[in-house]
Amino acid sequence: MTRRELFGRSAMGVGSAALHTLLRSGGLMGGFLAASEAMAQKAPMGKAMAGLPSLPHFAPKAKTVIMLFMNGGPSQLDLFDYKPTLEAEYDKDLPETIRNGQRLTTMSSGQARFPLAPSKFKFKKYDNNQDGLWVSELLPHTGSIAKELCVVKSMWTEAINHDPAVTYIQTGSQLPGRPSFGAWVSYGLGSLNRDLPTYVVLHSKVTRGDADQALYTRLWGTGFLPGQHQGVSMRSAGDPVLYLKDPNGMDRTTRRNMLDDISKLNTMQHDDFGDPEIVARIEQYEMAYRMQTSVPELMDIKSEPQEVFDLYGEEAKTPGTFAANCLLARRMAQRGVRFIQIFHRGWDQHGDLANQLPIQCKDVDQASAALVKDLKRLGMLDETLVIWGGEFGRTVYSQGQLSRTNYGRDHHPRSFTRWMAGGGVQPGIVFGRTDDYGYNIVDNDGKPLNPNLDTYTPGTMHIHDMNATIMHQMGIDHTKLTYRYQGRDFRLTDVHGHVVKEVLK
Amino acid sequence: MKSVKFVVPLGSLVLLIAGVVLAPAQKAAKAPRKIDFNKDIRPILSENCFKCHGPDAKFIKGDLRLSDEKDAKKDRDGEFAILPGNAKESLLIQRAISNEKSAQMPPPDSGLPRLSPDQVKLLSEWINQGGKYEKHWALVPPKLSELPKVKNQNWARNDIDRFVLAKMEERGLTPAPEADKPTLLRRASLALTGLAPTTDELNNFLGDSAPGAYERAVDRLQSSERYGEHEARYWLDAVRYGDTHGLHLDNERSIYPYRDWVVNAFNKDLPFDKFALWQLAGDMLPNPTREMKVATGYVRMNPTTNEGGSIEEEVLVRNTFDRVDTTSTVFLGLSVGCAKCHDHKYDPISQKDYYGLYAFFNSTKDAPLDGNNLLPPPVIADPTPAQEALLEAAQSRMTQIERGTDASRARKWLTTNAPPLVKTTDWQFCGPFRRGSFEETFNSEEKLENWKPIKITPGVAVQAINANLSNGYFRTKLVSDRDQLFEFGVSSDDGIRVWINGKLVHSNFVSRGVTQGIDPVKAELRKGENELLVKVANGSGPDGFMITLGSEAVNRIDAALKGNDPLKVVQAYLQYGPEAKECIEYRKLIAQKILTEKDIPQTLIAEEMEKPRPAFVLNRGEYDQRKEQVSRQLPDVFETKLPEPNRLGLAKWLIDERNPLTTRVFVNRVWLQHFGTGIVKTAEDFGNQGEWPSHPELLDYISIKFRKDGFSVKKLHKLIVTSATFRQSSAVTAEKLQKDPENRLVCRGPKFRLDAEVLRDRVLQASGLLLQRQYGHGFKPYQPAGLWEEVAQSASNTKDYVQDVDPSIYRRTLYLFWKRTSPHPVMSTFDAPTREACLVRRPRTNTPLQALTTMNEPAFFEAARKFGEKIVGTKSTDESRMDFAFRTALSRKPSQKERTILMGSLKRYQKMFSERPQDAAGVIQTGLAPVDRKQDFVDQAAWSLIASTLFNLDEFLTQH
Repeated sequence: MTRRELFGRSAMGVGSAALHTLLRSGGLMGGFLAASEAMAQKAPMGKAMAGLPSLPHFAPKAKTVIMLFMNGGPSQLDLFDYKPTLEAEYDKDLPETIRNGQRLTTMSSGQARFPLAPSKFKFKKYDNNQDGLWVSELLPHTGSIAKELCVVKSMWTEAINHDPAVTYIQTGSQLPGRPSFGAWVSYGLGSLNRDLPTYVVLHSKVTRGDADQALYTRLWGTGFLPGQHQGVSMRSAGDPVLYLKDPNGMDRTTRRNMLDDISKLNTMQHDDFGDPEIVARIEQYEMAYRMQTSVPELMDIKSEPQEVFDLYGEEAKTPGTFAANCLLARRMAQRGVRFIQIFHRGWDQHGDLANQLPIQCKDVDQASAALVKDLKRLGMLDETLVIWGGEFGRTVYSQGQLSRTNYGRDHHPRSFTRWMAGGGVQPGIVFGRTDDYGYNIVDNDGKPLNPNLDTYTPGTMHIHDMNATIMHQMGIDHTKLTYRYQGRDFRLTDVHGHVVKEVLK
Repeated sequence: MKSVKFVVPLGSLVLLIAGVVLAPAQKAAKAPRKIDFNKDIRPILSENCFKCHGPDAKFIKGDLRLSDEKDAKKDRDGEFAILPGNAKESLLIQRAISNEKSAQMPPPDSGLPRLSPDQVKLLSEWINQGGKYEKHWALVPPKLSELPKVKNQNWARNDIDRFVLAKMEERGLTPAPEADKPTLLRRASLALTGLAPTTDELNNFLGDSAPGAYERAVDRLQSSERYGEHEARYWLDAVRYGDTHGLHLDNERSIYPYRDWVVNAFNKDLPFDKFALWQLAGDMLPNPTREMKVATGYVRMNPTTNEGGSIEEEVLVRNTFDRVDTTSTVFLGLSVGCAKCHDHKYDPISQKDYYGLYAFFNSTKDAPLDGNNLLPPPVIADPTPAQEALLEAAQSRMTQIERGTDASRARKWLTTNAPPLVKTTDWQFCGPFRRGSFEETFNSEEKLENWKPIKITPGVAVQAINANLSNGYFRTKLVSDRDQLFEFGVSSDDGIRVWINGKLVHSNFVSRGVTQGIDPVKAELRKGENELLVKVANGSGPDGFMITLGSEAVNRIDAALKGNDPLKVVQAYLQYGPEAKECIEYRKLIAQKILTEKDIPQTLIAEEMEKPRPAFVLNRGEYDQRKEQVSRQLPDVFETKLPEPNRLGLAKWLIDERNPLTTRVFVNRVWLQHFGTGIVKTAEDFGNQGEWPSHPELLDYISIKFRKDGFSVKKLHKLIVTSATFRQSSAVTAEKLQKDPENRLVCRGPKFRLDAEVLRDRVLQASGLLLQRQYGHGFKPYQPAGLWEEVAQSASNTKDYVQDVDPSIYRRTLYLFWKRTSPHPVMSTFDAPTREACLVRRPRTNTPLQALTTMNEPAFFEAARKFGEKIVGTKSTDESRMDFAFRTALSRKPSQKERTILMGSLKRYQKMFSERPQDAAGVIQTGLAPVDRKQDFVDQAAWSLIASTLFNLDEFLTQH
């Protein structure tokens, strides 16, 4: 095959034989190999990089997922889980009947007492599609989209420390080694735009400089899935994608010239050696060349009109802010990036919550709401699922000193709040509730539900359940998207997870 | 039989069976081949049936275990799942072909597909042939089979080739011709050392036409120090080597002497049985050498944490899981991990078996929480030979001086001249005080009331705060017999401030463990009582405070005078006594010793507790859900009771002849390394779900030969790379591509993309920048700004990436500093694992991010630039330069066509750069390496682009 034959066929320029081998090269593992080959025959040219042939398992509601990850564990009690009756119990001890033997971290397990800390922040009730949504004064913009939100107050997890908890929600296991959510989606569904990565990660600047919780590349890694499914960090400083820019002194004509030479010589090599991998390699170089244009175009938000910045806030003009990242996420969604994850750090308020939490909220409130509004305005909200939240919640009792004006809260895995919007999720609802202390998930009569992993308990949402539900909206049966490694079929939700249909349209 | 799954009346089924090949009569047309249970049947049963009818006792449905021969053939009220000799009457077959939803197996709602007609046919034939079960092939020790007969008598060079050729001939394939000499040498060099031949090495080889030239080249490669560096890389992936703890703060930890030991072990061809034994249990051998102890770094390699709030028992359990899972993958090729929650679904490993293995690894002395420390104990110093010599010389001279000093004179001098100790009154503590941030915790002023008594012994750490982001105060009175400048030392976890008589005399805002360093403090004391106030500020995790009163000298002298050991008195005298000649020399020697010792690397090692911790089966793997206690034992399936039920006993069994797995698993990985695919493709899984070996007899042959050859890894490599199989050309014909697309039959030479490390080393080598300095602390090369900062916690000591600015950035990639939560992006882009978990088979992907890396990454482009400079500097004409460039990069000459294409480009680049000198300057200023100013910079820049072109060719990027 000559180069002309190779690239002369379509806009993407690669024939089905080349695509076939390109996909073959995607992995060494048998299952993926077979799947890719089968897919190659029916993949539409020019657009998508194929996922598995059996996917989607059913018609997807959400084409794109945007996950706004508040790393550290935002305090549900000061943001969403409104507990007015706590006010009267200020500084009283957490009743043992409520704690019920629940384990604590060793940061507060040694405390002599567990004094109740009602939120010092005012709550306001916003109209939603049920009997209203209480939101803290710290999140006024979020309150303003109450009619779009599905607020889940009955999230729970077993993990009680950050590293295991974040790893758990992102990969389905508390120990390192498994693929991340976005990697699974990339593996299963493939890409909608071959000139951009399928799974993009954005890191946000945090106003409070000493954000004290770590991230790990494993959170967007591929574990044992083939490497091309790992999340690609798009960066606000330097190259937006690592090594995107040509070296100093090299212009685009020269780069093109070099690439032409590379593909001529590679094609000759292919003629002599017959290895189809060579054809795949030529295509990867061409794709890299196209990315050098498509990524800067994506990152260039100057073309956005002022009304957009009015919506997201002026700080959206500053690269690397959470607001700028939300705007970028929308631009990525428009270009077919499937899975976008924005990390915002510093939500670990063991102490000084009164001062820290307002700053944290100010960083994210307007832009989170703007993203939802913007997607709605553009008619994209129905096919874009936005999720907001952290890895666990915080305790109702104060860690360290409690005063009327300040307090701290330890980690609380037993109940926490996250919200979802768009993507076929019911708008304007609240799902799940907790007891008067925000400690345990309860049913409508206030009876503790004590959910466990063995069976699904209606009214609750384990992190596996939420992951299963998100996958479901993307057209994935979470029990069927598996990968054989070490003789076992692994999946994001391990052997758990339940699609919570009650929150779906 | 009351099983739900067996209640469908058979009558309704029988009608449905017709049409499927079952009856012996139908098979008579062609004599059926003998069905091999392990190869043909077990995979079908494992994949489709074992989930519900397999080893997992808790999930048995219909009271039927198809994994158990007896149970499968049991009479169930006249019905049989498997009725030997009669497929038709076997429910296994009836259910497989039933069209009735309620009877079908696998059940329609199981998510498993129906068995294919071919699978049903195989099962039926097997049952008709008697339905005999065999133990899973990998659990039967390797056995030597006869060398297969082959038609082509001229091809084989060694016995490997006989096995490979026989399979090829069976499939009507013939071997590929031998690769040409340059290709062969390049392949062997890359395979054995991870580097390409130099032009000299290539010329020597091409000039050596005597028989055995290739074998001699292999010997040369194996005797190079580069061999061990390359081999170590694969092992370090498997054992998840990293230079940081891996979890949460991901602080640095020091274990690189283990990495260097691995390199050295391969270079000196330490037999694999010792190699394995020392790593697993070197500490438990009688009189272990330092080397054996360093090797036990293997046991300590699991990622660790010290996250604030962690529950120690939970972390201990997780650390131990990781050790068990890694050991079983690395040595046994078994994924036992599933059995931590329940009996294994596919392999005969019960939950109890798992915790039996767990019990071997839960009783080492290292604390489950790592303290975020560089050297969480136990550790050992591992000096280099030069350091050792220095220390020995200093010590022997010191001993000599000590012997020449009179103890009673020394005592007299010390008694007369040493200052008396300062005493303290009882200590008190006040706190803890909770603050919002670490800074605030450190700087705040607290209302100090409600002091409580606390016992403090100088030199012993005390923990009193017990809370994160909290501070606490300690106070006492120092009683001095005169006015004096007083020296003392404090240590703290974390920050500390000290006041004497209300005056701040010391302040250290630091995040550390209490033993990590003692801050020396000096303060004026007045005669009588002086108030000492200390504030300790804890960030997260444990806290602590320790004080030593008086200088080290005062304490040492005091102890020596109180004790009965004259040597101690002499030493104190020599060290702190008068300015006499022998004292001055002695002090110099001590200073020299301290200086040397400071540079000696220390490394994490394993040590076994005197009394093992009890181990329990843990429900669902949860640390707080203990079930029955278990003792250390091998999984039942191995039918072996260890005479020494401990880590050492386990290690001995792993390398024992009766162990069916270890050698197979290791030699398979070596095969994988050389051919890109293992004989068992699933190198990490030799269990029921693993793939059937492409050449089972060959695998056994090599395994047995490896043991017979004294576990020599060098011989093993040599056997493989000198085979005719390895020497084939990697060119592929359409026929072979169709018949054997993955080259599982090895009917052509290996070809695959080079690993991340080899690629980086190769461009450095071609450019002449490669610095071949062995061993030592990991280096930090170019890395885009912000990668560590954007993930790390503010308190982490690997938060800021500080790139090295000396030639160490050109070291071999093996020595790269490996941060596990954010490995170097070039590594990740080319499929290197994060080293947080065991990995024995890297995927090999092909992505545009890789193309961007090899084209634009500063180290790669700098190497292209320096390679361009080397090309220009070596030859004088562009024609000969092109030859040199190809030779160096690709180990061959350019073809005429290639020459024409690249010469054309070269001319274009030269023209362009002479018109735009600023662009040429841009190109040649990439990287820290100096520019050869004597050269024409237009030529330099133009050739740099040609060099970069060569670095991006498929031929350069692959081993072929």
